[in-house]
Amino acid sequence: MKQKNLMKTATPYLFILPWIIGFLVFTIGPLIFSLIMSFFDWPLTSDPSFVGVGNYIKMFTSDKQFWKSLTISLKYAAIFVPLNMIIALFLAMLITQPVRGVKVFRTIFYIPTVISGVAVSILWGWILNGDYGVLNYLLSLLGIEGPKWLVDPAWALLAVIIASAFGVGSMMLIFYTDIKNIPIDVYEASAIDGANPARQFFSITLPIITPTILFNLITSIISSFQQVTLVMLLTGGGPLKSTYFYGLYTYNNAFKHHKLGYASANAWVMFVIILCLTALVFKSSSAWVFYETEAGGQTKKKKGGKK
Amino acid sequence: MKKRLAVLLALAMTGTMILSACGGKEDDGKTSDGKVKVRFASWDEAEDVDAQQAMVDKFNAEHDDIEVTLEAYGGEFDTKISAGMGSNDTPDVMYMWNYPAYYQGLEPLDSCIEAEGEDYKSNFYDTLWNYNSLDGDTYGIPIGFTTHALFYNKDIFAEAGIEEPTNDWTWDDVIAASKTITEKCEGKKGFSFQMKPDPYDFEMYLWSNGTAYTDEEGNLEGNLNSDEAKEVFKMFQDMEKDGYAVATEKSGTDEFRSGNTAMYIYGSWSINTLKEDGVNFGVVNIPSFAGKGDSVSILSSSGISMSKDSKNKEAAWEFIKFWTSEEMNKERIGRELPVLHSVVESEGIMDQPEYTAFYTMLEQSADYTPASFIIESWSELSENLSLSFERVFNPSAMEDVSDVLDEAAEQ
Amino acid sequence: MKMSKTSKVIIYILLGLVAVYFLSPFVYMFFTAFKTEAEAIAYPPKLFPAKWLWENFVNAWKAQPFGTYLWNSILVTVGTTVGQILSCSLVAYGFARFNFKGKNILFMVLLSTMMIPWDVTMIPQYMEFKMFGWINTLKPLIIPAWFGSAYYIFLMRQFLMGIPKDFEEAARIDGANAFQIYWKIFMPILKPSLILVGVLNMISVWNDYLGPLIFLQDRSKYTLALGLASFKGVHETQIIPMLCITIIMIIPPIIIFIIAQKYIVEGTSGSIK
Repeated sequence: MKQKNLMKTATPYLFILPWIIGFLVFTIGPLIFSLIMSFFDWPLTSDPSFVGVGNYIKMFTSDKQFWKSLTISLKYAAIFVPLNMIIALFLAMLITQPVRGVKVFRTIFYIPTVISGVAVSILWGWILNGDYGVLNYLLSLLGIEGPKWLVDPAWALLAVIIASAFGVGSMMLIFYTDIKNIPIDVYEASAIDGANPARQFFSITLPIITPTILFNLITSIISSFQQVTLVMLLTGGGPLKSTYFYGLYTYNNAFKHHKLGYASANAWVMFVIILCLTALVFKSSSAWVFYETEAGGQTKKKKGGKK
Repeated sequence: MKKRLAVLLALAMTGTMILSACGGKEDDGKTSDGKVKVRFASWDEAEDVDAQQAMVDKFNAEHDDIEVTLEAYGGEFDTKISAGMGSNDTPDVMYMWNYPAYYQGLEPLDSCIEAEGEDYKSNFYDTLWNYNSLDGDTYGIPIGFTTHALFYNKDIFAEAGIEEPTNDWTWDDVIAASKTITEKCEGKKGFSFQMKPDPYDFEMYLWSNGTAYTDEEGNLEGNLNSDEAKEVFKMFQDMEKDGYAVATEKSGTDEFRSGNTAMYIYGSWSINTLKEDGVNFGVVNIPSFAGKGDSVSILSSSGISMSKDSKNKEAAWEFIKFWTSEEMNKERIGRELPVLHSVVESEGIMDQPEYTAFYTMLEQSADYTPASFIIESWSELSENLSLSFERVFNPSAMEDVSDVLDEAAEQ
Repeated sequence: MKMSKTSKVIIYILLGLVAVYFLSPFVYMFFTAFKTEAEAIAYPPKLFPAKWLWENFVNAWKAQPFGTYLWNSILVTVGTTVGQILSCSLVAYGFARFNFKGKNILFMVLLSTMMIPWDVTMIPQYMEFKMFGWINTLKPLIIPAWFGSAYYIFLMRQFLMGIPKDFEEAARIDGANAFQIYWKIFMPILKPSLILVGVLNMISVWNDYLGPLIFLQDRSKYTLALGLASFKGVHETQIIPMLCITIIMIIPPIIIFIIAQKYIVEGTSGSIK
């Protein structure tokens, strides 16, 4: 009997064992190492010297760029995350509509995600070129003089958002999978009860997919802070550093200025910020995320709280 | 209990990692059949890599005991080298141009050079050694270089009915020509310059006007914001304001290729492309500032260096000698300019009109040391300077030159 | 679900507009791949090439050993996808269907691993892989995937938690152990999300160039994505070969996506009951 109990308690641990091993071997070593690096002045080839919390103090007090980049990333996250989610959800709903040919549209919407990131950045760099780009050319045909997207600080951030919205396909696909797997009789039952499409969306679809909303929300926040490649290739952080995202700031500190210790400190600060934001989101999730529903429309037993 | 075990494991893992990072490598630098391994990193683009691989194979065939592997990093060269140096895993031999940033990981080559005899060293253009050394030690052997020169589109000049630029032109001449071209030729601009120039390159204009970013001790004040410097910035800004010049988002090559601009200043990197496109172009010296003597150009010199931690320095040096030989210099013509007197002579480089100006500029540019070699935190200064440039040249900003430079000099 | 005609029209209009946004850069890229380089940068831009240069594609493919790259990409993609599907579902199952001490803490740790920016852990990771002797092999790209990735574990866990608690009750009463329940009962239900994870992973690995950039050194090990990125030089970018290869690289993922669509949708409607 005791053996069976031991087996029972050990079982979940056995299931998550692969991740634990991977975590110990591949993640925690580098993680701790980078934390240690953040307490040093770590030039590229000569010997590191211990500076304690010096890097952190410098960041918060004397590095203006730190605050600027942080603000830019926060601004981007604040706009991009909800915008992206709404678009992804909207698109996902669109492609679940039972109209003819919707499968083709589904594939079309997903194509941009499949294009390599490097190519996407270079492509948009072309299209958005102020003087010779295609977008402004098309606008000029309509009689509008397009702004210099990548040169005018007022527009550059928007340009980055336009280019990064291109990758909304993944989130859309995740929403789509979830929505498509809602049993159709739930909708039918509610239709019998007299619910119109809008009502169905808000009372059935939305609550059921809250777990994936949570997922997309969190992953979106995280990736918006880590945005480096697109902005590096598209704007290089300009113009006038208006798109100098925090991720790019960290990258440059490491690979251009060769201040590995300082860059590690940057990264850990970002990590803490994301951690706090995520914790907030999770805490709030007990109020709006529903993990269990009963199939069938009659007993609307809404159970709140995480399992 | 399980948690405690996990924590212990984590600590053990971390400990091992840290210990091994501080320790040395076990790799003995030899291939399985006993040959000495030399890793060679280059930044050349994909289309050139095949030709390079062929040369590497040639070297390997001629040397039984050495095997060189080519690692083509392309545009990500800096990232790879930084990562390599940061983790003590640098290639034995690598291209190099940014000596101030990386010299601490490089091996000084003076003794090797001397061992080759006087002829070896003097065959290289003298000025180039400056650009491949730091604090008196030579860290790289030059393999290519370019200065900058003024490119102009012969067809557009003919269309506007004005005389083509000559080596004696001053900036006033350029401004006048740009004005005429912009007015006479529909949709074309006379001149283009970069909106965000590399501060390293831009310093040459200050030199031409008798000043520099800093003095020998590294002081910005009085140099970066000297009247002469402000004059230079203002000249470009005015050209843009008055509409005769366009500040390009990239290098300006695309605009020149497609015939939208009549003149621009650039290195020899675009020559092959322009020839392929069939652009009818000419090259002359960079215009001088009236009354300030010959114009000066920045040198972009590529060198080949050896890693300080290489296990196979002798083999590496053999390869370096091969790669800097006359044969290899000839190979690279069209991408970069040969650095050996003998090759320039044998190939008649000076007789080809598109190359002459670059060598003239080379001669006119001796004795100038870029600020990047003087200032330790150049990469950060460069980033700040870049921002200042933008504030002056970005059409949405166009700030007052004097104010921007004074502010920049305070750093 | 019946739909009124107006709703249908509205939906088509919306679909069409969005399709234009997503497709136009792609269309532009597609036509430009057939142009000469001079045509590509010309202004005002023309959509159609003067001559359809099919040889652009051949030249691009020959410019680098893309055949080798293709093989490497396939190895890495298939290797990681299988690894992720197996390991992530196992771990997600553990987190979603059991209660055990430290679950919440461990889950937070799991999530937090997603938040670390790679460029700083990259050098320590490089050193670690060097210690293992894995540099310049495909191992650093494939093996970690067999231990789960936080992103997919999180995703599957969300799906799993949407299944009612007493679902496996019947099987447990019958005496099945946890693993059997996982394999025989949950995996079939999870099929849509397994395929979803497969597709997502496949595409992200297929296009990943940062990993290969850091851990690979010589060209015989390069993947397609890294080969593509190599067309970007320090000064100039070779635009035409880059576009050609990009287009070639899109084809396999699209095909897989089209095939997978069917399975993602293959209903679970009814089987939950």
